[in-house]
Amino acid sequence: MTAEGALVEPITDERSKVPGSADVRLVSVIVPVVERTDDLMLLYHAFAGELERRGEEHEFLFVFDGGFVAPPELTLLSQANASVRLLSFARTFGETAALRLGIERSRGDVIVTLPAYFQVQAEGIGPLLDALQDGADLVVANRSPRVDSWLNRLQSRGFHWMLRSVTDHRFHDIACGVRVMRRSTAEALPLYGDLHRFIPALALREGYRVDEVAVPQHPGDARTRVYGPGIYLRRLLDVAAFFFLAKFTEKPLRFFGLVGSVCFGLGALTSLVLLVERIGGQAIANRPLLLLAVLLVALGVQLMGLGLVGEIIVHLRSPHRRAYRVRERV
Amino acid sequence: MPELSVVAPLYNESENVSPLVAWILEALVTYPASFEVILVDDGSRDDTWARIADAAAANPHVHGLRLGRNVGQTAAMMAGFDHARGRVVVSLDGDLQNDPRDIPMLVAKLDEGFDLVCGWRQQRQDKLILRKVPSWVANRIIRRLTGVAITDNGCSLKAYRRDLLDRITLYAEQHRFIPALSASVGARITELPVRHHARRFGESKYGISRTVKVLVDLITLKMITTFRSRPLVGFALASTPLVVLSAGFAALWVYAATNFGPEKANALVFPGAALLWLGAAFYLAMLGLVAEVALSSERTGARDVPTAWEVR
Repeated sequence: MTAEGALVEPITDERSKVPGSADVRLVSVIVPVVERTDDLMLLYHAFAGELERRGEEHEFLFVFDGGFVAPPELTLLSQANASVRLLSFARTFGETAALRLGIERSRGDVIVTLPAYFQVQAEGIGPLLDALQDGADLVVANRSPRVDSWLNRLQSRGFHWMLRSVTDHRFHDIACGVRVMRRSTAEALPLYGDLHRFIPALALREGYRVDEVAVPQHPGDARTRVYGPGIYLRRLLDVAAFFFLAKFTEKPLRFFGLVGSVCFGLGALTSLVLLVERIGGQAIANRPLLLLAVLLVALGVQLMGLGLVGEIIVHLRSPHRRAYRVRERV
Repeated sequence: MPELSVVAPLYNESENVSPLVAWILEALVTYPASFEVILVDDGSRDDTWARIADAAAANPHVHGLRLGRNVGQTAAMMAGFDHARGRVVVSLDGDLQNDPRDIPMLVAKLDEGFDLVCGWRQQRQDKLILRKVPSWVANRIIRRLTGVAITDNGCSLKAYRRDLLDRITLYAEQHRFIPALSASVGARITELPVRHHARRFGESKYGISRTVKVLVDLITLKMITTFRSRPLVGFALASTPLVVLSAGFAALWVYAATNFGPEKANALVFPGAALLWLGAAFYLAMLGLVAEVALSSERTGARDVPTAWEVR
């Protein structure tokens, strides 16, 4: 799937801008301030210092989700320094929306996303930018070596284990908030809902080259994270939503048709068994199994109907979509 | 602008690239107008792209497109169609099983006043049980379901008028249904026997596993070719058998209640089944309304605008 609206015109995204070439590139660092934050001034100075040391021209965009207020020092800094910009949501929209706004408002050729807390060491940003220069379209940090607790790592393992059913590519740290990408790649990502956790997988689906680069974890990231059951359920639903998005958005009837025909088949089989028993002389009117059989058959029909509605919607959207992205032309 | 564009999608066909190019160029040596060949590398894992790049460098007629990842035959063909500039576009497989020498013949047939000319592999060189039998069955079902009398829907060797390609969008795995989808926008379609060769290099990417998928896709095909501008009618038609079933059970209920005394009349089997089927039918009809909502909220695009074709 390509970005919506990009269409009819054959889409070609030639590498017009090779980062690191003679002309100076601008690196836009987007910091979504949601949930957890460390001292933002400290964070800014650490990463801005590292970028300056590398001689990168940079800008910082802090996107504050609803309920988060910029610390006064940062406001002062942004007033004094045009390369630091602050954006603020009027209500809570979440990390995905914050990243999208940051990408829209940024001007850089290279986009860096950075959590509002120290997730990796600032020196780690260099290798990520280098990997982009080597031809990757998106580079995600892989916190390694990890210094946090076994509980965090276990949770991460569980999440990645679930993901294995969804993407062919084996990611080690897909949800790491530190990512570096080309502007064209960032703009092509379908960012909505809670999809920011799957950004590397989304980029792969769009046909971009994605690399993982090991970056040392910051000790500040080591705090043991334990959440309420609701959060874990949300993660599970995120993966399920992504699974559906990845496999069936072009052909919903294959999913609903499959589930529907399984229901229908089971119901029909049960009905048949009951019919045979009835002919054999047994009363079936008072059997709960009869209720189940009829219910399953009806449910099967309904699910297939839902799939068909999905197919009609996909068909209606089809003139605006292309499943391919051209990487190169000769 | 070239007059003719030849589009071939390739996936892991590195050995086939240069013979294919040589063969196409040889077949078009006597072609009177200008032409281009567009080779689409559908995210191959071997060195197909390097071979395409070589071919493109060696010959000005040859262009290459490299897709970001493997997206499947339909999307790869769409990539080729989107980049093709010819008034006439011919698609063929990248595995040398189609014969490029048939291209001029297909184009000539197109110029007799057709929008789509489909190749028909009369002497198909594939495995009988795994490929030919399922294909024969599928083609029969497609013919019955859509009423489009094309013998061989699966043959990639086809010639299209540009106007037609501007009117259809292929997605998912619709390359099998090109004739039916074209007919649904009013295209004039015919078929011609073409040559077919056994595979020389590489492996077939198809197996028997696609049968079920094709059956599901056929339901979609029927829905979008026949009912896309009036989905409520489609859903209402689909719910009629359920209404009939419901009525049947209701009749049994009345019959049992009037003939077998109060004990049978109180049994829940017949009324239960009647109500459930009626509910399912009602639900389907309501879904048809949802589809109508989706249709009306779509401002442009796939809505069934009557297509006016220029008289040729």
